[in-house]
Amino acid sequence: MSVHEKGLANLVEIAKNGVACETKTLGNYLWDDLPDENKWADCVHCGMCLEACPTYQETGEEQHSPRGRVYLIKAVAEGKINVNEAFSKPVFDCLDCRACETACPADVQVGGLIEEARGQIRQAMPLKGFSGMISKTALKGVFPHQNRLNMLGGFMRFYQKSGVQTVVRKTGMLNVMPTHLKDMESVLPKVGKPVLGRYPEIVPAEGETKQRVGILTGCVMDVMFSDVNEATIRVLTHNGFEVGMPKQQGCCGALHIHAGDRETGKMLAKQNIEAFKDYDKVLVNAAGCGSALQEYHELFRNDPEMLPLAKEFSAKVEDVSKFLYDTDFKRPKAEVKTKITYHDACHLAHGQGVRFEPRQLLKEIPGVEMVELPDADRCCGSAGIYNLTHPEMAGALLDRKIDDIPENIEMISMGNPGCMLQIAMGVKKHGRSEKVVHTIQLLDWAYEKDKEEASKQVKS
Amino acid sequence: MIKDVRNLFGKKRQRQKPDAVVQKLMDIVGENEVLYLKEDLISYECDGYTMSKGMPKAVVFVKSTKQVTDVVKCLNKEETPYIARGAGTGLSGGATPLGGEVLISLVKMKKMLHLDLENRKAVVEPGFINLKLTQSISDKGYYYAPDPSSQYTCTIGGNVAENSGGAHCLKYGVTTNHILGLEIVLPSGEVIELGEEGVPDRPGYDLLGLLTGSEGTLGIVTKITVKVLKNPEGKKTVLAYFDEIDDASKAVSEIIAAGIIPAALEMMDSIAIEGVESAAYPVGHPRDIAAFLLIEVDGIAAGIEDQIDEILTVCKNNNVREVKVAKDEAERGLWWANRKMGFGAMGAISPDYLVQDGVIPRTRLPEVLTKIAEISKKYELRIANIFHAGDGNLHPLILYDASIPGESERASKAGSECLKACADVGGSITGEHGVGIEKSAEMRFIFSDEEIAAQTDIRAVFNPKNLLNPGKLFPQPGRCAEVKKELVKA
Repeated sequence: MSVHEKGLANLVEIAKNGVACETKTLGNYLWDDLPDENKWADCVHCGMCLEACPTYQETGEEQHSPRGRVYLIKAVAEGKINVNEAFSKPVFDCLDCRACETACPADVQVGGLIEEARGQIRQAMPLKGFSGMISKTALKGVFPHQNRLNMLGGFMRFYQKSGVQTVVRKTGMLNVMPTHLKDMESVLPKVGKPVLGRYPEIVPAEGETKQRVGILTGCVMDVMFSDVNEATIRVLTHNGFEVGMPKQQGCCGALHIHAGDRETGKMLAKQNIEAFKDYDKVLVNAAGCGSALQEYHELFRNDPEMLPLAKEFSAKVEDVSKFLYDTDFKRPKAEVKTKITYHDACHLAHGQGVRFEPRQLLKEIPGVEMVELPDADRCCGSAGIYNLTHPEMAGALLDRKIDDIPENIEMISMGNPGCMLQIAMGVKKHGRSEKVVHTIQLLDWAYEKDKEEASKQVKS
Repeated sequence: MIKDVRNLFGKKRQRQKPDAVVQKLMDIVGENEVLYLKEDLISYECDGYTMSKGMPKAVVFVKSTKQVTDVVKCLNKEETPYIARGAGTGLSGGATPLGGEVLISLVKMKKMLHLDLENRKAVVEPGFINLKLTQSISDKGYYYAPDPSSQYTCTIGGNVAENSGGAHCLKYGVTTNHILGLEIVLPSGEVIELGEEGVPDRPGYDLLGLLTGSEGTLGIVTKITVKVLKNPEGKKTVLAYFDEIDDASKAVSEIIAAGIIPAALEMMDSIAIEGVESAAYPVGHPRDIAAFLLIEVDGIAAGIEDQIDEILTVCKNNNVREVKVAKDEAERGLWWANRKMGFGAMGAISPDYLVQDGVIPRTRLPEVLTKIAEISKKYELRIANIFHAGDGNLHPLILYDASIPGESERASKAGSECLKACADVGGSITGEHGVGIEKSAEMRFIFSDEEIAAQTDIRAVFNPKNLLNPGKLFPQPGRCAEVKKELVKA
């Protein structure tokens, strides 16, 4: 059925059953969960966003700019164009990096608008063939299910530890894979065991308890970077916080929402809202997830029942680096001698407006020399699974990011697992040697040194 | 350019077949450098001026002077009209199609070709972003002076076409004062070079001056030599809040009369303040003031304190409520970001806005603002005012909602009356935004038929078939003829 026929069918259905009041339409948007008109009403087409947009910088094409995308999204609502492949491409080629939102004088929520338009596109044109299958297995079949994700992690641990990885790499079996997947395989971190389930649900604070906080352990983070989660727990408890990890929590849904699968996104959102209902504070160490949780209320804008709950939940969510800074984190005393630079994850800088605090955490570790990365808040190309779906654009952005890294740096710090994988891949591809770390890890190492030195003193 | 994985694995997108002209353009620049599908073109219907829209026939991305020449020759032969386009941030519709033109996009010609700091000049391609020039030489102590508020994204090629100004043009002049040389592709396909390296003034007609600000009607600029300036030794910025527009206005005149030429002298009224305070960079301006002045002085460090003292005295003599000097670069930066986002910020308080660009003698400001307030009342539309007060360049921002039937027309009429008010006090209908589509009829406020004919005669020398950016800058005699025809029919 073509898009048009489907729309007609929808209208016929409305006429037959007389449910027009429930199935609203907006121009050529004919499906559930309509995009928000007020979001494009804010855009006056001034063009301040153009140069902030990585895809515009690369292509120079208006329809690949934030202003152009907003214009297209509005044009569908005005009935000027249809929801079709030519409309879908610019909407899905957006990195969802939100750099335009920082640049916009009128606070147009381009990101939210893109997500809503993707929701319409996926309902109008469900993915078919190979990409449909991939999307179904990964997004619907794996990410929403913690146990399956853990199983995947288990496979990866087996792959790395059993020697299969060595064999695969040595025999050149990887050569059958597309280059970008091969590059990614080469930098897979050593997969540890996820903290969710392995740690007790409540980890007590060291010393006096200041406050109880919940943490989102995340899906990719907990499978690929469980060491970052471990570090987060140690840092928080060291600072006097009791850390809770409710077992019912799941994937944040960001990947689904970005892919236009808003239904699965909503299901996961409900799950997390429920899981953290007894917590006043929900901390996140993955920028992308943090941003998604903070925008749950956007997801339920057409659902009056869930909306207040989502709003209440979103207000509780905070990035762990900002929380630590705002609660006057314990300043480490031991020296960690290293020269470091900081990359702004899009969903931390543009999505949550957190730029100052993580830099400050790093700067206040004695011995850390911080060098600013030029254009630190330009997307590295990771953008969720964008580097898998759009390898060419992602690769171009990664090359630019790596070229910008100052000389003689030992570590690159950031606050998002997607960026960590992507930048590690870039570092390797460009034959460089910088270590990619999460901001919290550095603080953790500093505290670790503090403790070592304290125990030495006790002994002596 | 972006290859989508869905295209790699799935079905290739069904492409509508290009027509003969588009095919010829593709043969010149390559298949991927031409857009012609409706969905790809629709975002090119307008530039920063959204009141007038027209679908282009195609968009062609050129990468060299040679390609521009070939494309122009081809379109000439096909008798297809065409328009040069930069970032599309213009505010008078200069890059907006009337319908059916081919847009020649110059954004991919964005290299700096040569930098010669010893002789204080740089050579750039037309798609080079204004602010990038300053950014790329600031560590060496230099900058490029013209700073339109859209400088984050607008191209220097577009600045040349519109002779763009900016907040700091009071002291340093507009784009035309900073252009040393141009390479231009004429509508005949011929490439000419104007200006000469290192020679500031040449005998004969000032063709550089003619071409700069010709709004893309005389030729397509493909290479630009600009002046770069040494960073001023010192810089100080003052913010002054006034309860009465008259007082703020008198302060402006008195500052200039005192012999101070500030680098910038800006004014914003209460509705404009409401806009910027609701937008991305709020400063915390009091909401109950009538206007503020943002004044910046720069130059040799030694004299700056004295000038600031004098400015503070002038403000105090004119009943200023509060006046302060920026305490550091961060504060200064915030004040400027707040001001420069002024137009876009209107989105936060209104779905659409129409910005006007009148010029008036500084001393007539209170009178013109009163007139604008009357116009606002008459058309029942709110009007905010952002004013390059130092050089008398007034920007009334008419707030309207295009989705309400009739509001666009009312806004357009109100805008026209604002310009009439400016022209009536001996001013002009544009200071820096250009005439474009928007103000072509209003050209009659300041030029007689003979004066307009003299100018279209000049256009005919360069652009005899009027294929390059037709229907812009001058009122179209065609309109009168059409009206007459309708009358005859009736």
